[in-house]
Amino acid sequence: MTRQLSPRPFTRPADPGAGTAKIPRRRWTARSRRDFFVFLAMALPNLVLIAVFTYRPLLSNMYYSTLDWTLGSPTATVVGLDNYVTFFSSSDAPKVLGTTAVFTLVTVGGSMVLGLLVALALNAKVRGTTFARSAVFAPYVLSGVGVGLVWLFIFDPGYGVLAWLLRGLGQQSPQWINDPQLSLVMVILVYVWKNLGYCAVVYLAGLQSLPKEVMEAASLDGANGFRRFMAISLPLLSPTTFFLLITTMLSSLQAFDLIRIMTPLGTGTSTLIYEAYLQAFGAYNRAGYSAAISVVLFAILLVITVLQLRFVERKVHYS
Amino acid sequence: MTLHLDRRHFLGLAGLTASAAALAACGGPSTTGGGQATTQAADIDFSGVKPAAKIDFWSSHPGQSQDVEKSLIEKFQAKNPGITVNLVTAGANYEEIAQKFQTAQAAKSGLPGVVVLSDVWWFRYYTNGSIIPVDSLTKQLNMKMDDFQQSLVDDYKYDGKHWALPYGRSTPLFYYNKDHFAAAGIPDRAPKTWDEFGQWAPKLKASSGAQYAYIYPALAGYAGWTLQNMLWGWGGGWSKDWDITCDSPESVAALQWAQDSIYKDKWAGVSSKEAADDFSAGLTSATIASTGSLLGILKSAKFNVGVGFLPGGPKATTNVCPTGGAGLGIPSGITKEEQLAAGMFLDFVTQPESTVEFSAATGYMPIRKSADMSAVLAKTPQIKTAVDQLAVTKVQDNARVFLPGADQEMAKAAAKILTQQGDVKSTMTDLKSTLQGIYDHDVKPKLKA
Repeated sequence: MTRQLSPRPFTRPADPGAGTAKIPRRRWTARSRRDFFVFLAMALPNLVLIAVFTYRPLLSNMYYSTLDWTLGSPTATVVGLDNYVTFFSSSDAPKVLGTTAVFTLVTVGGSMVLGLLVALALNAKVRGTTFARSAVFAPYVLSGVGVGLVWLFIFDPGYGVLAWLLRGLGQQSPQWINDPQLSLVMVILVYVWKNLGYCAVVYLAGLQSLPKEVMEAASLDGANGFRRFMAISLPLLSPTTFFLLITTMLSSLQAFDLIRIMTPLGTGTSTLIYEAYLQAFGAYNRAGYSAAISVVLFAILLVITVLQLRFVERKVHYS
Repeated sequence: MTLHLDRRHFLGLAGLTASAAALAACGGPSTTGGGQATTQAADIDFSGVKPAAKIDFWSSHPGQSQDVEKSLIEKFQAKNPGITVNLVTAGANYEEIAQKFQTAQAAKSGLPGVVVLSDVWWFRYYTNGSIIPVDSLTKQLNMKMDDFQQSLVDDYKYDGKHWALPYGRSTPLFYYNKDHFAAAGIPDRAPKTWDEFGQWAPKLKASSGAQYAYIYPALAGYAGWTLQNMLWGWGGGWSKDWDITCDSPESVAALQWAQDSIYKDKWAGVSSKEAADDFSAGLTSATIASTGSLLGILKSAKFNVGVGFLPGGPKATTNVCPTGGAGLGIPSGITKEEQLAAGMFLDFVTQPESTVEFSAATGYMPIRKSADMSAVLAKTPQIKTAVDQLAVTKVQDNARVFLPGADQEMAKAAAKILTQQGDVKSTMTDLKSTLQGIYDHDVKPKLKA
């Protein structure tokens, strides 16, 4: 730890070119020392746990990605970047990356747009909104496994509820589970249904914190509801939108439980994280190759987060 | 000091942590470089070894066998009071139990004494050196190996040794709705060939009111297993020895016939989850499912259930039925004491009385020749069909049981053909290329010369 931890504010030299100007050295005071030890006492246990259970496996995984290693085998061969080359040159890579992109974009977009619409409806002062808010949020806290199993019964083309309804209309049920394209649609629909409650509640909190006087002023100026929403609410909700964009994108890219339960083979629904699972644990036992796919996912998550922080945040109105 | 954690930093940290968590979730134990997997084929000397006081038995309870497994364990413990067997539900199916076992192998801890292993997993455990040959145990415990059904015990033989013993062994059976068959004026028996069933199917569909005359087993299940019946009937197969033959004209013809039954003739469908459940629910007049599903079907079906041998094809009408199901293996990464206790448990659960009890509870085949099945057959005569069919079974194609991930690739190819009406020839050509790649990379280097 350096002495920059001094509680005194740091003042940058007026002349940036004055590289030789001496920065005043800070001294540890009794208070700053005490604060630092309090910080250590509070943060160190967590930092140690994160280091042991997150960053150490992360580094190990990067190492495994350079091995030709069959899961369960006591030995492995170092192959450098071969696993990455194999993945990117395989016919699976475009499919997996494409599925990941479609799944992420549609679930993030769907959850946020529908979440915002639901939040607008729930923001109205009418009877029953408390119940409606609970009902909308409930799927988010339900187990993904349970949700997946229930929806599988609904979508089952043989004796599912949906098939029964369609038969009543004289229609055959689509092959939701066996057709890879429809499988992806099915999983996306369920994922959006499960997660839009989260977006709705966060948006609702954002809507309720909007300044009322601005809305009233716009109304007095003759702006209708749509205009007020587009010109005032939406821009003022941009911090909420930005927050949701990052958090829902991160969780979509890591979506696993619904895909695992609803489409165990991953036919048509194999996103990067699911492909990593299938390669190591599904049937192939290619632990090194799976680790390489995980590193690719890590890199994508990192790049997306950095790009969002670097460029998208510029559009955010924090006040 | 001040800790400046604003929204921007918080989101950045969240992103980094999420990325790291995604990566960490896929990690595993450390390994060292230097060559591929080795196998432990050496005989183990158990002389002077005392059995461990406690072992775990990892099972997926094939055929809903949890209760009968508990019963067998109680009887074993009564006979061997010094050994406690802890039954662990280690997965809902063969794949989940394999996943847990492989992970425990990689972690080098938490291994069971006995593990249920399916026909497609034991060879991988062998090549990884994860299981021991059971021959020295069977010798030491004086197990009557000549009393085992030869074809079932030889399924686990490689390199001159047995790497597991049969347990919940099954074959596919042809199940049909006797009421539907009677209403359609069709003989009360399974068809001799698929062509014969093709002639029956339109009548069945017209008179039964069921959605399908026949439903293909769920592709996410074991499509590669049941489709061998058609491939063999047409003179094809997934492979012949180590040559991948799934794109041969015979194999293509078989799968073209299957595709036509769905899209051209429109009397067949593909199960989404479990063909046995679809059949029990009356969704279809006939299907193929494991013998392990027999008792469940008999319990839940509200109609008269018929069972028969699998139909043949234009090239072969017999020996078109694969064996399948699970065996029991002993891990190499446990102590000799535990291995000996595990061997004693294997000896007990494969005794004629035990296999009769297991068959009666599940519908799986008895694995011992001397098993007295008379009481079981009197109660459930359909089991006899499964037992009789054993005489006309065929060893599964190497490509299906020995290539890691082959079952998954076969299911994907079948999905393309049977649910998306993909071109059969090109799909099989692609599958051949994939399977060949798996063989070259994952199996060939590990095979004994």
